[in-house]
Amino acid sequence: MCLLHVSAGTEYQDLVRYPEINIRENSMTFITGPSGCGKSTLLRMLNATVLPTAGRIEYKGSPLGGLPVLDYRKQVLLAPQQVYLCEGNVADQFAFFYGARGEECVSRAEMVNALEICRMPLSPEDSCANLSGGERQRVFLSIYLSARPKVLLLDEPTAALDELTAREFLGNLKAACRQRGTTVVCVCHSRSLVDEFADEEIRLEARA
Amino acid sequence: MNSGGIVQLQLWQFSLIYLLLIIVIAIMKKSGVEKTRLLVVASVKMTVQLVIAGLVLSYIFQNPNPVFVVVYLAVMIGFAVHRVLSGNPGLNRRFQIIIAASIALSGVFVLAYFVCAVVGENIFNPQYTIPLAGMLIGNTMTGISLGIKTFRESLQGQKARVEALLGFGASPHAILQPLAKQALETALLPTLNSMVGMGIVSLPGMMTGQILSGTMPTTAILYQIAVMIAICTVVTVASFGSLFLGMHTLYDQKHQIL
Repeated sequence: MCLLHVSAGTEYQDLVRYPEINIRENSMTFITGPSGCGKSTLLRMLNATVLPTAGRIEYKGSPLGGLPVLDYRKQVLLAPQQVYLCEGNVADQFAFFYGARGEECVSRAEMVNALEICRMPLSPEDSCANLSGGERQRVFLSIYLSARPKVLLLDEPTAALDELTAREFLGNLKAACRQRGTTVVCVCHSRSLVDEFADEEIRLEARA
Repeated sequence: MNSGGIVQLQLWQFSLIYLLLIIVIAIMKKSGVEKTRLLVVASVKMTVQLVIAGLVLSYIFQNPNPVFVVVYLAVMIGFAVHRVLSGNPGLNRRFQIIIAASIALSGVFVLAYFVCAVVGENIFNPQYTIPLAGMLIGNTMTGISLGIKTFRESLQGQKARVEALLGFGASPHAILQPLAKQALETALLPTLNSMVGMGIVSLPGMMTGQILSGTMPTTAILYQIAVMIAICTVVTVASFGSLFLGMHTLYDQKHQIL
């Protein structure tokens, strides 16, 4: 079943123009294409942080414009490219993100579970001060994963990971999301990772 | 020379104070601080502006008329708003209007309370209204400038945080509020710090002026305390209004951060 649909000719501020895009439910879809072709903008539009200036996007058959935006975003999470962590330990990160949503933080077990899926064997009490770039990225992603969204939009989630860790991370993520019924849409530059993990690939063309 | 407890400054005596600037220029030259031009411009501007203000105030005091007071207040507020906005370019129109309204409304409200309720004078009495308005609005200008600048800088510097939380489904209000709160703290700190040091580290300008012109120190401190509390109130109310109402102009009903 088609979960997310972008109509042909959808535009954002005359900067990018998209072909028709369909994202199947419970699949792992990769978005590829040269830099500047609008991959991140597409994810932002799917998360409704920016709205298309032409064309339309549908979620389960209804146009995004008609849904309560914040409820929608909580189902279709976007983990942006740039990692943000606040001060404090791992548990503080989860508390900060859920606090900003005005919600109670997930349980300790849920945190540990999400960290494990992201191949980040830390305990919630560990400090985040001395983590490497790749470790910070995995802690960051595990927060989004812990929310168990319907759709997880990931913008270059493996950018700071070495090839082996990236492979383990994507393998774990794919298995966990399939089991939970989470649809994953992932921007990725690595050809070998796309070939190995993609159920579908959407190739965007360079801007004219 | 000595009339009513204060030495009336003769022009030649007064001009001696400018000699001190030679020391400032010497230090600037010696240490390579290339601000001598600014120093000269600032000194000349200050002198001319204050001379004009003195003449205008003398005229207004001798010919008290509510219209003069209102015009003087309007010019002061207009200047303060202009300074805040020109120091923070790129704010949207609604944000600018909110800042202007916050300065004007909180300034006029506290001023009216001070002059009418505390001093028990007519709001149109220029001797009270104009100097008090100057102190209140001047401090408000500094406070809001600092607050808005902090808010804009943290919005710029914390782009990653804003994006991460938006993507996680947090509302723009929940994302921006901590930044506005932090900016409000920054706006208030100079005023609070000066209250802490007051009387020990510094004898504030207003009190010094009153004492020099023959007022009893015990009366001068009452005015000074009242003025500080009034300043603290205006700075708080105006900064709060500017930041917490202005913040709402940064996103729309679709929860898009603009």
